[in-house]
Amino acid sequence: MMKISMLHTGGTVASFYDEKKGGVSSKYSPKDILKLYPEIKQIANIDSRLIGNMWSQDMNFKHYNLIAKEVEKEVKKGVEGIIITHGTDTLHYTSAALAFILENCPIPVILLGAQRSSDRGSSDAKLNLICACQFIANSKFQGVAICMHASTSDDACLILPPTKTRKIHSTRRDAFKAINSKPIARVTLQGNVGFIEKHNKSSTKQLKLKLIKENIKIGILKSHPNMFAEQILFYKNYDGLIIEAMGLGNLPTTKLDKNTQENEKILEALKKLSKKIPIILTLQTIFGRLNLNVYSNQRQYQEIGLLGHQTDTLTETAFIKLAWLLSNYKKEEIPKLINKNFRGEISSRTSLDFLDYVYS
Amino acid sequence: MEKIDYKKLNFKCGIEIHQQLDGKKLFCNCPVKTNKKEIPDLIIKRKLRAVAGAEGKKDIAALYEEQKDKTFIYEFYQDCDCLVDIDEEPPRQINQEALEATLQLSLLLKAKILPKIKVMRKIIVDGSNVAGFQRTMLIATNGKIKTSKGIVKIPTIFLEEEAAKKISIVKNEVTYRLDRVGVPLIEIATSPDIKDSEHAKETASLLGMILRSIDLTKRGLGSIRQDVNLSIKNSPRIEIKGFQDLKSIPKVISYETNRLIKNPPKKDEVRKAEPDLTTTFLRPLPGSSRFYPETDHKEITIDKELLKNIKLPELIEEKTLKLEKNYNLPSELAKEIAKNKIHLETYIKKYKRISPLLIAQTLITTPKEIRTRFHITKKIKEKDFEFIFESLNKQKIPKDAIIDVLIGLLKNKTPNLNKYSSLSDKEIETTIEEIIAENQNAPFNALMGIAMEKLKNRVEGKKIAETIKKFL
Repeated sequence: MMKISMLHTGGTVASFYDEKKGGVSSKYSPKDILKLYPEIKQIANIDSRLIGNMWSQDMNFKHYNLIAKEVEKEVKKGVEGIIITHGTDTLHYTSAALAFILENCPIPVILLGAQRSSDRGSSDAKLNLICACQFIANSKFQGVAICMHASTSDDACLILPPTKTRKIHSTRRDAFKAINSKPIARVTLQGNVGFIEKHNKSSTKQLKLKLIKENIKIGILKSHPNMFAEQILFYKNYDGLIIEAMGLGNLPTTKLDKNTQENEKILEALKKLSKKIPIILTLQTIFGRLNLNVYSNQRQYQEIGLLGHQTDTLTETAFIKLAWLLSNYKKEEIPKLINKNFRGEISSRTSLDFLDYVYS
Repeated sequence: MEKIDYKKLNFKCGIEIHQQLDGKKLFCNCPVKTNKKEIPDLIIKRKLRAVAGAEGKKDIAALYEEQKDKTFIYEFYQDCDCLVDIDEEPPRQINQEALEATLQLSLLLKAKILPKIKVMRKIIVDGSNVAGFQRTMLIATNGKIKTSKGIVKIPTIFLEEEAAKKISIVKNEVTYRLDRVGVPLIEIATSPDIKDSEHAKETASLLGMILRSIDLTKRGLGSIRQDVNLSIKNSPRIEIKGFQDLKSIPKVISYETNRLIKNPPKKDEVRKAEPDLTTTFLRPLPGSSRFYPETDHKEITIDKELLKNIKLPELIEEKTLKLEKNYNLPSELAKEIAKNKIHLETYIKKYKRISPLLIAQTLITTPKEIRTRFHITKKIKEKDFEFIFESLNKQKIPKDAIIDVLIGLLKNKTPNLNKYSSLSDKEIETTIEEIIAENQNAPFNALMGIAMEKLKNRVEGKKIAETIKKFL
């Protein structure tokens, strides 16, 4: 049987009712989880250990490096696949971080979580765990991916791209969707794997860690009506800023009349800040691509150095990418590298994939 | 038909050529390819309406009016279409390769390249462009070519988007397929400098040769289209579309000129060149002024740095002469090699023991022979040619076996080369002696036939004949 290592970091998948605090806490031990889901032992030879026990909302860059180093240890040990259990709220940040950090990952590293705690008979953890094992055992995938419910039924999971996936529902089992992209594959409970996108295995991969500097400070700012210049300038001591623009890349920067005088100051603030730190625009629409050619005010953004034109990178991925770029490359290379596709974070063609496109 | 005196008629004629480019589409990263799927991935229904930009232009308003009740149905294919093709996303950055190919052409035609290129929208109301307009840009002006009857001027060279292919019209529903939409298209037009019908053919053929010399130009059916514009004294202007091949140009032009002499129409017309070399009415010629700026793309600057890096391709004509001279190839074969953009030199360098002539014949003549003699139309893959050359080079097969091995490869059989392994002189002699002994008194030709059958693919015919003669 295949050798798979399961690394636990906590989250709902490992939580049950907490008598003292009320609500659920992250406290199942690795052994408890294997005991809860004995079926997975029939699929693979599973070695399970705890590397953290926390909610994903509490994570930071240190944890990404820690998980990456644990993955490296397992790869060196010669395991054939890794499953990482994780809280769901920031699961897609971690998947992006691992995708960037683990260069040339030679084995599958599958992240999963649960939207219902493991102390319930109805927990979605079971299907996600089994499907992740099945996927590793029945495919030749290499690299990082997410495995979560394909629909609200307990019959199949989707294997989702690590830099192009987002949690877009607070509670549903199928909350994770590929954005501006297709899922990688669909896996059934019984272990049928159907690849949706072609995946070619290369035999000569040598894992290299490109860690994120743990003291880097990146902000995320969502643009909105009634904005103030001071919101921009707040980030002057940060190393980088992601701004979720409106529509296909708009910010409130046009002074139309006396009621919109602040907008002029916002543009000035952006000009000033972008001389100091990289500012990346992303989409708050979630789907689609940024285009800074369409409206005349946007062309100014390109001139003052706001980045992200023609990209369709998710905000969360852009946040991780910028931290990773600042950790591993020279600052002056950032404008060019933001438009370079490293880990599938930028798609070259905008496909039809949207909410009505169902792969479940 | 009586001989036409074109000069006396004040014959005016110009040619317009549309040439598709390969690679990627002009304003997105979709590949240029013809759809082969039967069922589209998505079917989209759209309407077009008159827009403010077109107001006040009488002809355009009228054209829209005609299309008012039409519904346009678009067949979308995921592998060759994206949101840009269906007007759901602004254009991406212009395809640099297509732009550079057009710059190559402009330089070949000695045209003046514009320092700033503005992308424009040309209003198209028939639904063949999903957005209701076609993106087009003037790249260069004042080009020219030398012909046997003087200079033909080429006032404009455009780069534009190809339209969608019309599939059907059922009542008010027009269906288009979107694989072709957005494919880069070069448009060149000559001045009315063409003197007569033969001169039109010469000009079209010369321009075609120059276009095909550029690496990125697409080959195959429908990848190049020629239109002819003509008029005579006091006649309206006629545009003829849809020439199947260059050879038909002189006849269609003389037919059309005779028609203008005998039965001139009252207004300008667009006509279609029919297979019987006559023409039929298509539609009235549209008026001009249907352009307005594409606001979603920045002006393109053609700087000195870019122009410096544009390499001029070798013209097919020059390349043909060079192949003839350097490798002693027959002219037709050399021309085919040049036209098909085959890098013969690479093969010659790699397979030193095969003659250039045999390499060229294997690449050009052999596939044709397989098609006509054995009715196998499947395309021979590059790696199959490489296999043949490798085997010839190592003398594992004689040249007589090329067709046999290729047909095997086309049928996906792993070839057993042992059956082609050459025999020693001694072995050949023994076999021939046996044949002669078994067929005493048989004439040379009969012996040759039997020996050929027995030694097929292993010994060359010439060698067999020599051996038989030796023993007779």
